[in-house]
Amino acid sequence: MRSLLLAVLAAYVVASIHAVLAFINKRRALQRVSEWAMVTGFVLHTAALIADWALYGHYPLFYLRETLSFLAWTLVASYALVLYRYRARPLGSFTLPLVSVLIFIAIINRSGPGGSAEAISMSTTWLFPVHTTLVFFAYAAFFVVFVASIMYLLQERQLKLKKFSAIFHRLPSLTTVNEIATSAAAIGLTLLTVGIATGMLWSSSRDGRLWHNDPKEIFAALTWLLYLTLILYRSTSSWRGRMAAWMGVAGFALVLVTFFGARLMGGYHVFG
Amino acid sequence: MSIVLVGINHKSAPIEVRERLAFTDDACAVGLRSLVDGQVVREGLIVSTCNRVEVLTETANGKLSDTTERVIQFLSREDFLPRSFYETHLYTHTDDQAVRHLFRVTSSLDSMVVGEPQVLGQVRRAYSIALEAGTTGRILNRLVHHAFRVAKRVRTETGIGANAVSISYMAVELGKKIFKSLEGQTALLIGAGEMAELSARHLVDAGVTRVLLANRTEEPAARLATELGGEAVSFDELSSYLAEADIVICSTAADHYVITEQMAREALNKRRNRPSFFIDISVPRNIDPAVGDIPNVFVFDIDDLESVILSNIREREREAERAELIVESEIMQFQQTLRMLDIGPTIGALRQKLQDIAKTEMTNQRNRLGSLTPQQERAVEALLMATVNKISHPLLSHMRRSYDASDSETIQAWRDIFGLEE
Repeated sequence: MRSLLLAVLAAYVVASIHAVLAFINKRRALQRVSEWAMVTGFVLHTAALIADWALYGHYPLFYLRETLSFLAWTLVASYALVLYRYRARPLGSFTLPLVSVLIFIAIINRSGPGGSAEAISMSTTWLFPVHTTLVFFAYAAFFVVFVASIMYLLQERQLKLKKFSAIFHRLPSLTTVNEIATSAAAIGLTLLTVGIATGMLWSSSRDGRLWHNDPKEIFAALTWLLYLTLILYRSTSSWRGRMAAWMGVAGFALVLVTFFGARLMGGYHVFG
Repeated sequence: MSIVLVGINHKSAPIEVRERLAFTDDACAVGLRSLVDGQVVREGLIVSTCNRVEVLTETANGKLSDTTERVIQFLSREDFLPRSFYETHLYTHTDDQAVRHLFRVTSSLDSMVVGEPQVLGQVRRAYSIALEAGTTGRILNRLVHHAFRVAKRVRTETGIGANAVSISYMAVELGKKIFKSLEGQTALLIGAGEMAELSARHLVDAGVTRVLLANRTEEPAARLATELGGEAVSFDELSSYLAEADIVICSTAADHYVITEQMAREALNKRRNRPSFFIDISVPRNIDPAVGDIPNVFVFDIDDLESVILSNIREREREAERAELIVESEIMQFQQTLRMLDIGPTIGALRQKLQDIAKTEMTNQRNRLGSLTPQQERAVEALLMATVNKISHPLLSHMRRSYDASDSETIQAWRDIFGLEE
């Protein structure tokens, strides 16, 4: 499995390097190489995840390496969707290097399973894969919101100051990044809502409790509230700009706390 | 390669000299036919624009100095111009340097405004004139096509033409940066200044579908409206039209703020916060600077535009450095293309091969001929060589024809038949 993941890493590294070079040089050929390398990487990656699942008999989200690899997979899928829908290539220069780093850590990490054998046995129900997959895709969508928001803030600031850096000319237009942030936030919130709901169902089927006051649950709830506010705020007008973009940034900070921070604080959500 | 380029441009000569040397399209065609005589100059092309006259030639006899001399003489227009009037302003480039110069000119690296897109069209036009006059051949055809390719590469791979360097084009560029595309956007022109008019034209070319014109006096607005396909609107109802406009260009002679913060805020509310973009090219300013502090409203006054243009020019210069690298690598590629095409070695090798066969047969059969006088021996050799040459002549001229037609496949076929190495 490691060798397959190494091939995945190689493809993503090639994709990242070419995406960054294409961003700097504006060369179509580089962009094409980047996209093909990404597609190749994604196909291999999907195969690796399925193989993992088949080999170990559990959904690949128990070891830290599995979690990171899965997160990287959702990020690539989200980027591919944004690329397909908005042709927003510069996003790749941010997403693909991050994906490569995640895969790299996944390869070198050898830590044991986060959950107990009991937890693994409990996870055989269909709710576990659905819950985790939805939440991971929600996080990936929020990452897209985050990057688009940064792009928005950067450009808005430069437009107001009337001083443009080289990067300004390479980013998608203000309208494009605004649209990306809006729709990615809506998709992310929907996924998170269903994800949390299935999580509650799963938990109640295990011990009859919907809520455990576990740090991950609390932060996830806060994240959900923040993005709900963001969506409501955006929907009251046809355009919200700076403020909404800042919320997109803050929301992602909260996502990071939920994802990594809660892990450190322990609690009911032992894995991932 | 024996390419000679003699030229004059905005850096080497003042307008007084350039205008006297410039060619009209007709003069170009006539001039080319007289310049390209097949004796000294085999191929020729003239690029003549307001900033430059470039005469690009391929020598027929391999003597670059002859060709240079002939082109300089040619520029005097049958001695109407004394040579001393223009000769000191000319530059002469040969071979690689000439190729480099043409590539740089076509890619707009040698232009007054680096990266301006017109020069490519001008070279294209010059080429089609030369093509019609029949004065380009295998070398210049390839060279000019290669130059077009270089220009395209430079344009797509560097940001040399990316950032606007004129005020009138700034509206289009910033508009695209804010609104993704100008398709379906509405522009409002307040005042009918020349600059505003030019900006509006660029906007319409870029896809703006609706142009509103407001002017104190109705008549210029009405005239512009018909020209641009826009609607003239009343100056007094400005505030109600402001909400409909995505892009506002203001250039009136008013000495007060035509658009106040209050008006802009109301417009933004009616627009449900959708961003709007104001350009103020009037002095004194017509748009209250406080409008620029409103979120989602972007205001550029004349100083802002000038400073952005300045930084864009610097950005273009940085990009031009990268373009120069592309040009250098393309020069090498072009040399390779020419080498591939060069028929000389092939013809030489073929002739050598046939003569070698004759000579070998001669030595093999020499003994059978018995003793010969030196005259007889020379006669036999001459006979053999003459036979070889007579037989190979149609072959070689056929090869030359394939070469002139740039038919590299046929040339390769000949090479294969006779087992000639590259």
